[in-house]
Amino acid sequence: MIRYFTFLALILLGFTPNAQAQQSLAKVISTVQPRMVKLYGAGGVQGLEAYQSAFLISNEGHILTAWSYVLDADVITATLDDGRKLTAEMVGMDPRLEIAVLKVDAQDLPHFNLDEAITLEAGQRVLAFSNLYGVATGNEPTSVLRGIVSAKADLAARRGAFETNYRGKVYVVDAMTNNPGAAGGALTDSKGRLAGLIGKELRNSQTNTWLNFAIPIGELAQAVVDIRAGKLRAASRNETAKKPKESHTLAQFGIRLVPDFLPKTPPFVESVKPMSPAAKADIRTDDLILFVNEHLVPSHKQVVEELTFVDRVDPVRLTIQRGQELLEVQLTLEP
Amino acid sequence: MTVRQLLPLFAGLLLGWFSATAGAQDDPFEQEEKAITAAAQKVASCVVRIETVGGLEKVGKVFVASGPTTGLIVDADGYIISSAYSFVQKPTSILVTLPSGSRAAATIVARDHARMLVLLKVTTNEKLPTPTAVPRSEMLVGQWTIAVGRTFDATQLSMSAGILSAKERIWSKAIQTDAKISPTNYGGPLVDIQGRVLGVLAPLSPQGGGGELGGAEWYDSGIGFAVPLVDIQRHLSTLKSGKDLYPGLIGISLKPGDIYVLPAEIVAVPPNSPAAKAGLKAGDVITSIDGQPIVRQAQLKHAFGPKYAGEKVKLTVTRKIDNDHKQLDFEAELTDELIPYEHPFFGVLPMRGGGAKGIGVRYVFPGSPAAEMGLNAGDRIVALAGLDVENVAATQQFISSRELGSKLEVKWLRGDEEKNGELKLAKFNADVPQDLPSAVSGDLPQPAEKAATGIVEIKLPEEKNNCLALVPENYHPQVPQGVLVYLPPPGPSDKEKLSLRFKSLAEKNQVIVLVPQSADPKKWDPTESGFIRKALEDLSAHYTIDPTRVASFGAEAGGTMAFLTAAEHRDKFRGVAVAEGSPPARMKAPETDPVNRLAVFLAAAAKSPHKGVLDAAAAKLKESKFPVTEHSLGDAVRSFDANDDAQLFRWLDGLDRF
Repeated sequence: MIRYFTFLALILLGFTPNAQAQQSLAKVISTVQPRMVKLYGAGGVQGLEAYQSAFLISNEGHILTAWSYVLDADVITATLDDGRKLTAEMVGMDPRLEIAVLKVDAQDLPHFNLDEAITLEAGQRVLAFSNLYGVATGNEPTSVLRGIVSAKADLAARRGAFETNYRGKVYVVDAMTNNPGAAGGALTDSKGRLAGLIGKELRNSQTNTWLNFAIPIGELAQAVVDIRAGKLRAASRNETAKKPKESHTLAQFGIRLVPDFLPKTPPFVESVKPMSPAAKADIRTDDLILFVNEHLVPSHKQVVEELTFVDRVDPVRLTIQRGQELLEVQLTLEP
Repeated sequence: MTVRQLLPLFAGLLLGWFSATAGAQDDPFEQEEKAITAAAQKVASCVVRIETVGGLEKVGKVFVASGPTTGLIVDADGYIISSAYSFVQKPTSILVTLPSGSRAAATIVARDHARMLVLLKVTTNEKLPTPTAVPRSEMLVGQWTIAVGRTFDATQLSMSAGILSAKERIWSKAIQTDAKISPTNYGGPLVDIQGRVLGVLAPLSPQGGGGELGGAEWYDSGIGFAVPLVDIQRHLSTLKSGKDLYPGLIGISLKPGDIYVLPAEIVAVPPNSPAAKAGLKAGDVITSIDGQPIVRQAQLKHAFGPKYAGEKVKLTVTRKIDNDHKQLDFEAELTDELIPYEHPFFGVLPMRGGGAKGIGVRYVFPGSPAAEMGLNAGDRIVALAGLDVENVAATQQFISSRELGSKLEVKWLRGDEEKNGELKLAKFNADVPQDLPSAVSGDLPQPAEKAATGIVEIKLPEEKNNCLALVPENYHPQVPQGVLVYLPPPGPSDKEKLSLRFKSLAEKNQVIVLVPQSADPKKWDPTESGFIRKALEDLSAHYTIDPTRVASFGAEAGGTMAFLTAAEHRDKFRGVAVAEGSPPARMKAPETDPVNRLAVFLAAAAKSPHKGVLDAAAAKLKESKFPVTEHSLGDAVRSFDANDDAQLFRWLDGLDRF
């Protein structure tokens, strides 16, 4: 009897750390979940999902997410962890990082503090929270995947219909975060501390495999501050603003952009006509136009629109991104 | 849809994550992280980044990775092992980043064709570190595994953690892990929590096929494979000497059926094969290999899986001698290539249906051994080599177990008269006889229930494809029907046209025409061969099928599909007919099989763009001893007319010859 008892005690002893680990993981997850948001917007056709993931970053309802076609809707619905469905307003976006900040009208919300975000190293265990495949609805918590950081690497992603502008370091993870709807989710360490924003579905251009990655919060934090301060906001013009009689066009500059297939096709340069003003200003294929004069132009459409406000006689200043470089060029039509 | 989408790994509140090696500290996760990173770091100096320059962009239909890949140093003299996957594009230049950070050019020394690995050699003065291998006996399913790669960055490792899922996978050639395995770590090591190497990561295919690219579509799915390093080390000296390794072949055919049930009974041993040289014979039952007991065929496959050509194996068999079961020991040296097996020929076409004893002779091939012995159409063969004759399939198999040129005693009935004779089995005859007498004798009783005839629609659960079957009006359940699996051009098939084309030929030759259609109206997909098999099985469940006369047939794209289907399902198809089509681009020439016979019918016009490819295929197949029938479609390209169809059906009608 005594021997039996000792045996039992040994088993208990042996299993204690395990049980502890489980409990702490469950606790961590339960503290992260209330900060997660499920977003519903545009999509739902041709295999494009109408949902994605996001998380709260202020107690007055600011939400950080990935900038995508899902946000290109008249009404974006944010479903909070407790099941509340609220309409989210676009605060602003940063096309270079492909992030957007939304806001819902609510108070005292559990949230991540971006200032407290941590950085991770390869080998560290992570948890990925997201609304993958849209399986979580209403007050259901988002899905959790576990994994480790496989590598901290430069994003070498394939350019395709869903190309990315971001070219900095990312956390590559071995959890399958690359799923429809997962973009905008949160990557935390095993203690639930925020480390990254789950990126969009992308292929690794070197190995042709799907890439599971998150953008480190450190790379985004300043942009979020700028967006919240109103510095990065898509040009919203006064309806009554006057347009000049003769304005600039892309064709006159000799620029052709990537065709405008999606409502928010990023304005990548597809080709530059030889000897044109653009060629003389050294604009190149694959450059991304970020600003026309002082106005942020996150899409093909907006570049075209913005140019209609500039008189032909005036020069145009473009801010472009080439790889990781930011360049400014001035274009003028020759007399 | 890729595998990765089917396997979203939800909510991992993982039980049993905690590893005893981490110790019972306050935060087990931190301990785990430290252990994982430490394990990867321990092997880091042996993991090299390999860059390839130049070569093909596309192999078959697959875009091959052009990015860097990973290798594992296995010898201090500059030998590095990696996955063949990364070299399938035949790069013009291979560069390895050594532990010192300098780059060195590498050459491929040898390949392991069984496990899809390559051995590289770099020339360097650097003394290279080598890893510690985990013995197979110490591997535990459920233990930590960390997959390590070096593709993102030359200075940094990439890692993925998981557990050891299984030890004896792909016929014992590999171990399995749920750590994520993809081109980002193929060629890299799978290490245990102490940083010792369990195996080298490679995209092996559980189905066995696919060559260097096989299994790559499983990437990141939670099903990953690694070749045990101890297995690689055992054969490293061979690879280092520049010799490629090939799967070891012995040359036996086992009794067909369920490999998980049947004992390893040999039904045929081609002459000149390692098995024949060792002294094995048809009828022997293998009971052990290298001291490892074998009860079922699957165990035999596991035992042979890791063996290479050139290796010697000890076999114990049970042989029936004079009504006594004797245990006999043999030793065979495995080979990489078997001399093609040639089916011996008796010289008759059998009658079909009817329940009398023996096999009725429908037709005797002129000049054949049967004709020389004096056998006539109308005779009944009742015994061969003193054994009663059962049915056509068993008789075909019995003759397959005999050697070309060997003598065979035959007993037959002519009317009531019993005759005896002896013949010498000759070379197989692929001629298509003209004007054959009917294969069905006498009056058959009226069947109790009339089966559906005419155009029948076959709908299989969970399959998108449509499928039709043309069942002849004179179908009788006692008359086994041949099956022509006609693979029409993609797009919907016109029932009336089908009926018009095949109805009378089907009735005349006792053939059901099965018409599976591609799911995509624009193209056939290679994976649809699985559906075709299912459709054929469904047909056999409802009609009496003659398994010795089942052939796939298609023109152009359908012809390629017919090749592929017959090659993938050798147990079901006895013939493949192709008109103006060609074999799939990457298909290896098949091997003749004593049990699963395959006849080939190739049709092309002289000016056809396919002519050259088909001629080459015909030459190759003949060299491999397949019975090949070539049918000319004249000068200019045209589709099959009524005469061609009749020729095709006569060929099918003669497939049950022996």
